[in-house]
Amino acid sequence: MKKTVAVLVAMLLASAMFPVASMAGDAYPSKPITGVVPFGPGGSTDLLARTVEKFWTKYSKEPLVIVNKPGGGGVVGTEGVVRSKPDGYTLYFGYGSGHDVVMPSLQKMPYDPLKDLVPVARLSIHSVVIVTGANSQFHSIKDMVAWAKKEGKPITTAVSVKAGAVDLALTAFGKAAGIKIVTVPFSGGAEATTALAGGHLMIGGGHPCEIMTHIKAGRFRPLAVALPQRDPSLPDVPTLRELGFDVATWGSIKGVAAPVGTPKEVVAYLGGTLKKITEDPGFRKAMADMNMPVMYEGSADFGKFLKQATADYLALIRKLNITIN
Amino acid sequence: MGIFSGLINGFSIALTPVNLLFAFIGALLGTAVGVLPGLGPAATIALLLPATYAISSPVTAIILMAGIFYGSMYGGSTTSILLNLPGEAASVVTCIDGYKMAQKGRAGAALGIAAIGSFVAGTAGVLGLTLFAPKIAGFALSFGPPEMFSLALVGLLMAVTLSGASVIKGLIMLAMGLLLASVGLDPISGKTRFSFGVIELQSGFDFVTLAMGVFGLGEIFTGLESVMKTEIVTTKVGQVWPTVKDWVDSRMAILRGTLIGFFVGIIPGGGAVISSLVSYALEKKVSKHPEEFGQGAIEGVAGPESANNAASSSSFIPLLTLGIPGNASIAMIFAALLIKGVTPGPFLIQEHPEVFWGVIASMYIGNVMLLVLNLPMVGIWAQLLRVPFGILAPVIILFTAIGSYSIQGQAFDIYSLVGFGLFGYLLRKLKFEPGPLVLAFVLGPMIEGSMRRSLLMSGGSFLIFVTHPISMALIGLFAFLVLGQALVMFRKKPAVQT
Repeated sequence: MKKTVAVLVAMLLASAMFPVASMAGDAYPSKPITGVVPFGPGGSTDLLARTVEKFWTKYSKEPLVIVNKPGGGGVVGTEGVVRSKPDGYTLYFGYGSGHDVVMPSLQKMPYDPLKDLVPVARLSIHSVVIVTGANSQFHSIKDMVAWAKKEGKPITTAVSVKAGAVDLALTAFGKAAGIKIVTVPFSGGAEATTALAGGHLMIGGGHPCEIMTHIKAGRFRPLAVALPQRDPSLPDVPTLRELGFDVATWGSIKGVAAPVGTPKEVVAYLGGTLKKITEDPGFRKAMADMNMPVMYEGSADFGKFLKQATADYLALIRKLNITIN
Repeated sequence: MGIFSGLINGFSIALTPVNLLFAFIGALLGTAVGVLPGLGPAATIALLLPATYAISSPVTAIILMAGIFYGSMYGGSTTSILLNLPGEAASVVTCIDGYKMAQKGRAGAALGIAAIGSFVAGTAGVLGLTLFAPKIAGFALSFGPPEMFSLALVGLLMAVTLSGASVIKGLIMLAMGLLLASVGLDPISGKTRFSFGVIELQSGFDFVTLAMGVFGLGEIFTGLESVMKTEIVTTKVGQVWPTVKDWVDSRMAILRGTLIGFFVGIIPGGGAVISSLVSYALEKKVSKHPEEFGQGAIEGVAGPESANNAASSSSFIPLLTLGIPGNASIAMIFAALLIKGVTPGPFLIQEHPEVFWGVIASMYIGNVMLLVLNLPMVGIWAQLLRVPFGILAPVIILFTAIGSYSIQGQAFDIYSLVGFGLFGYLLRKLKFEPGPLVLAFVLGPMIEGSMRRSLLMSGGSFLIFVTHPISMALIGLFAFLVLGQALVMFRKKPAVQT
């Protein structure tokens, strides 16, 4: 009797400990999927992920649950995903952010963002837009460059953080234009935008999702976009290349990744689901309302794109001779 | 739409059964998270963010979140007064005199005046929000890096005045607070400082964890020494309703706290924490009996508790009129609005009058609900003091551990909580007042960041702090206060010798 109980208990324990094994035959997904956002709630990555979360159940039988794991500029949460089981139930939202494509060129990382993660899909790119306050004397990039050259004075520039996508784009622009750009880093995009709105700095840079309310309210004037092509959310604003400055960055890329070793069919399922979501009219409208362009790319293309972006950022950092340590 | 017709329209929206229900849920939840140490409004609103998808109307969703936010300001004072454990960051200074009052058997009066002050200030704050929102918003924007630096500098000076008797000990605590604040990412260069390779330290120590450790756990560890005494403070709760003398003593403090809170709340990055600190320092300065501060002065509870409520109302001004979130909780509400397809900003009043006026009207109603909720509850909360220490202590330790874990979801914060608790115990043994340390910890990053930003803007010239008018006025105030203090000390010395 005792033995039977012991065996039963052991069996129960075993089944509790290995639920995945017993469900191996079931089709993926058989339980809710966790989407980790390595930044705080309310930021642009979080907003994007939560919009996906909202439309997810329409195209998948199991829900997606977004959790925020902020800290270390995104490294803490991303490392958590890297170290999790590659079964497709833990995903990383925000793949392609500064700590994936810029930080590795500047400091030692606890993991390799390109090798330890599998790209699932790209969702959007947050471009870098150069703006001035509405009361500024600068009405175009040309005005500003002319003024800086004539007066020989530096242009004070509000940026969200040091060595982020916005800081790099503006520093590169200063070098290309032959003027002195002093970037003043704040703690986050909202703070930088507020300081610029108060007229405390000459120009500023930011992602459309952070600054579009100010542009629409007439408080900011957009001067240029630092992407290779125009940003779909700001079709009237020229690129720096169009204006004659050979400066283009990849802005801040927002995609989804899974830990390396995640089965191919799982990645394909996730990528397919995300593709359907990005084609949903409701999702596209929600994204447009947040001023985030929908720029879907599947796993293979996104992987190539990220390699290119990382290499480009490394080249830019070498060229500008930027270090943080 | 005029203010009056707008408000009428707002009340017609806020008084619908669904919105009334959600305002009530928000107020109740807010009081609860305010009372629970560590679990703050920002974390709660973040947890509830996904739930807002289920609420179809944006007004209802924001009414709920706003309720949690200002409700937590009511609840935050409870554990500060009863257990010397700040339930919420903005109630840190309430510990100083509130807990002393509780020890003297006047817990009821402290809780009562905190609730009444909160109601008066909260309602006045909403009234100010109704009347002046668009006009004041522009003033808030004029605070750039140099102005923020000078404001924070004045704040730092006020932090020293919290130190009680010894200025030297206050300065030591201040320096330690600034040092602890420098752990983590350098705000300007992005370089990691003092992390010793620990990845969790890259984002620095958490403020709530620090405050709970040095105030709350420190108190409990000290209490363990006298374990023979079974209660943490005297069982006598005292009269809940404040006496006539309490009223006379605290009515001006409530008024001043309301004004300070309202204006500090508008400034981005200002908010409830700083307003409560400024209010406390001011009350101590203007008081006829400053020696009573730190010994259970009712003004020291009434002022800061009013200030943090007024600030929580007025921090909606930059959000609703400029689209600028001034603090973490408001940033969460900002996100919820965006998710609902409502863009906060100067066009909000025109494009979504139902959101603007509906939320404002609900805040009037919510404040009344909170008063009704809190005053009768005072007696119930105060019963906490009758719980034997042997039961209370582990429960508090459990709650603080849960609270600090909930902030970032990492076990590291629990270890640092215990570390700060031991540190707080040590401070008590050495007769150091932890107030200045905790406040320097908040102001440190602000001072460093805004000073370095100002110098980047000026090309390295310190003149920037006096060429900007607002900054110059604040620097002038700073100099005046320092000289005044020095004069007082200078005069006192011979008196001591004779």
